[in-house]
This record gives sequence, C-alpha cells and structure tokens, in this order.
Amino acid sequence: MKKRILVVDDEAGLTHMVKRGLEATGKFVVMEENEGGRAVAVAREFKPDLVILDVMMPEVDGATVAAELAETKDLKHVPVIFLTAIITSQETEPTGSYIGSHTFLAKPVQLKNLISCIDKHIGA
Amino acid sequence: MGSPTEGYPLGRTGKMTEAYEYSTLLEKWRNPKGWNAVAVILFIALFIASVAVLVYVTGGTAFVWINMMYIPIIVAAASYRVLGGFAAALAGGLALGPFMPLHVFEGVSQDFANWSIRSGCFMLVGTVTGYLFTWIDRQYDILKRAYDQLALSHQELQDTQLELIQAEKLESIGRLAAGVAHEVKNPLAVVQLGLDYLSMAVSENEEVAQAIEEMDTAVKKADRVVKGLVDYSRFERLDLKAQALNPIIEEALNLVRHEIIKERIVVESRLSPAISPVAVDRGKIQQVFINLFINGIHAMEGGGKLAVGTSNYVLTEESLRGFSVPPSRFAPGDDVVGVDITDTGTGVPADKIGKLFDPFFTTKPVGKGTGLGLSVSRKILELHDGWIGIKNREEKGIQVTILLKPMKGV
Repeated sequence: MKKRILVVDDEAGLTHMVKRGLEATGKFVVMEENEGGRAVAVAREFKPDLVILDVMMPEVDGATVAAELAETKDLKHVPVIFLTAIITSQETEPTGSYIGSHTFLAKPVQLKNLISCIDKHIGA
Repeated sequence: MGSPTEGYPLGRTGKMTEAYEYSTLLEKWRNPKGWNAVAVILFIALFIASVAVLVYVTGGTAFVWINMMYIPIIVAAASYRVLGGFAAALAGGLALGPFMPLHVFEGVSQDFANWSIRSGCFMLVGTVTGYLFTWIDRQYDILKRAYDQLALSHQELQDTQLELIQAEKLESIGRLAAGVAHEVKNPLAVVQLGLDYLSMAVSENEEVAQAIEEMDTAVKKADRVVKGLVDYSRFERLDLKAQALNPIIEEALNLVRHEIIKERIVVESRLSPAISPVAVDRGKIQQVFINLFINGIHAMEGGGKLAVGTSNYVLTEESLRGFSVPPSRFAPGDDVVGVDITDTGTGVPADKIGKLFDPFFTTKPVGKGTGLGLSVSRKILELHDGWIGIKNREEKGIQVTILLKPMKGV
C-alpha cells in the first residue's frame, strides 16, 4: 500500500517537484498544500502517514503547524520532516538530520536523501 | 600636492595645535648649533663691542647707549638660557669696565659704583631672562609630551574608526548575504528536485542524462556559494572547548587528501608536539584549515610543496611584520600559539594582497572560488580573538600565519 505524504510549503514549485519526484517512485501518494493555515485541515481529511513541512511560511509558520498537528487527535503521532532553507546541510548531516527531537532537511535536498529520510520514519 | 593639514597631526584647528606651532618656533631658537651658533655668538659679541664703543665715544649721552646692552644679553639668554644670559651680562659689564672711569656721568663721580650697579643689572636681567626661557622650555616639553600623546590617541582613534567602518560594512554584507541565501535556496531546491525527477524519468537516454548531470553539478556549485554566504553571515554562536590544534590540522589535511594526491602536492608537516591547548570551536577552526589548504592546492596546480607548522612563541616586531595585525589584538611580547602554512604556488600580486580578506574577492579563475573562503576564515579567527594574515614569501608562494591565544593556566 502506498504511503500518504502531505507536503506543506508556500513555494508551489517545490511542492509540485516533491509530488512528482515521490510519486514517480511508485511508493507514495502526495498531497500538496501551499498555505500553512490550511495544513491541519487538509491533514485531517487526507490522513497522511508523514508530513513534510517548510519552516518559514507567511502567516502560519511550520513550527505552529507542527504544534497544531501534535495536538490533533489521529495526527499527533504522524512524523514531521522539516524541509527548510534556514539551515545548511553542514548543520544537519553530522546529527543525522536531527535537531533536538525533530528531523530537519536543508534545502536544496536531493530526492534520494528525502526518500531515505521518509523511509527511516515510516519504512515505505 | 600636500594636504592643507600636512605636518599637523591634529589638523590646523584648536588651541593645542596653535600652542604647538609656537613651541616649535621656540624650539628652533633653542641652543643654536653649528653655523647658527657662530652667527648668534658673533652677533652678540659685535653688539656688546659696539655698545661699549658708543659709550666710550659719546661720553655724556652714554646713559642712553648703555641700555642698548640689554639687547645682546636678552638674545643670549633666549639662545643659551641662564648660562647664555649670565655670560653675555658678564661680557657686557667687562666691556664697559675700561671706559667707565673715563666719564663722569652728569657730575656723579662714583664711577666704580655706577659701573657695579649697571653690571649687576645686566646680570640680573640676563639670569632672570635665562630662567624665564628655561621655564618656557619646561612648559614646552610638557606640551610636546601631551601633544605627542594626543596625536597617538588620535591615530589610534582613526584606526579604530576605520576598523569599525570595515566591520559595519562586513556586517551589512553579512545581513544581505543571509537574506539572499534564503531566497536563493528555495528555487535551488525546486531545480534540484526537478533534476532528480528528470534523471529517474529519462535514465535510458545517455545524452539527456549527461545534460542533467551537468545541471546537477551547477546546482551544487550554486549551493556551495549559498552555504558560503550563510556561513559568512552567522558566526555568532561558537562552541568553544579546550582543544589540541595538531589533530584538527591533521584531520583537515586528511579531508583534502584527495585533492593533494590529484595535484601531486608534497605535504611537509612540522607540528610541534608541545603546543599549548587553545579554546576553539573545533568545526569552525577546521573549516579555516580546509579553506587554507584548498587555496594552497589551487595555487599549485601541477605540483608543489604545502608546509604546515605549529609552535608556541613570543611575538616580536619582526614576526608581526607584513601581517597588519591590529595592535589591540596582538602586540610584541604576547605569547601565542602560531600556525604557519606556506605553499610554493603563484603568490598574490602586491596590489591584491590587501584585498584578500574582502568578501567576494578572489584571485581564482571564474567558477573556482566564491571569494568568501578567506573572509569567512578571518571572521572565524576574529571571533576566537585570534588573527589570520597572509604575505608573499621571498622564495615563492605565500605564507599564511594564524595566531591564537594559548589557554591560561593549562
């Protein structure tokens, strides 16, 4: 069964590319969302196995979305991968992408690294 | 053409400079030597002799001419202070001695008494004037010391101001760079993911795959530049720990081993086992060494020698020469842990060496350097309270010197 991935980023080009890249593997079904404020509502409906979240978004940022997801029944255990431009791969690589208890990937990320990170969390 | 304030370290405004100008004028008249001394002494002697002759010749009106004797006495006191004033007064008195008895002033017959009083007055004026000039000398010395001190402080203030302007300039470049980096990373991420997707979709077409690979390389290069910008813009957080420098250097050399072998570089390592530990952020200092080794390797394409040495030493004027180290950071006599890295490469043209640490300045061919490596390195060193300087070697290539403060009490 294909894993369901929700990707939230205000950059539509990026969410399209993540969707194309992940779905091309045949292992994932991807839902795109470009507004942080709508992310939780979409997640409730889509019921993702994993959420890819941008950190810096206008209006509602990634950290707020993650906090709301954690407080939402049925979504609180859904793993979140932060995909962000505010850190560099130099900072994420030595810690195996973990900063604190969260997973961070630095933009620009390679598709294979994104897939292996998703696999690590939900074993697709 | 010189500037209007040339020769006046504090400019031409202010009482201090005005007073200084008068004192320098005074200084010119202090203890004349050589031909000036001959001219002054001759003038005094002739003047004394002339007055004496006038007194002798004019007789009755000698009283008026005698007062002229004060002129050479004052000139002598101004030139040679108390000694000069006293000597001229003595000479004036003695010059008048033979003539005085020949004249009886206005019926006064006490020639000797009159001469004695006159000579006494000469002595008094000569000595007092000499003392006055000595007092002015002392005031001048005090003023000069204060002025020199002020000029030094003024220079230091100007240097600090320049450093501040430079720091502010770098700071704004850093802020700008951070913003640009963030904005560039998003489209770069789209391109990277798009290329990865395309390479999966068209893997069977070799020509397309080749084009995608080239684009992928270009994205990675752009990403390196962006990383450099981010590095440059945020070094506020340092994880300082007591570290031995030699293993960090060895590790950095190991990380660039591939490049060293590829370019047929010979590495000469002179790492002193006795160097003091230093408080550094291991990752950031290692980044500095990697930058420097890569620069050295790029300067010696086709082979050469990269030498790296560490040692504990005391700074001297000689060891600081050519590295433009700010005196507020390191001065002769300071204990340092020093790292010297030399290469036998092309060196840096003299007119460019001062710009090496400016952001985005590079001497490398287009596409090979971002122009941020050395500015990031200097920033890292500055945050460590250290310094990095570069100079051309007389033999060939360049010498990079890193100075760090040894940890006290270790």
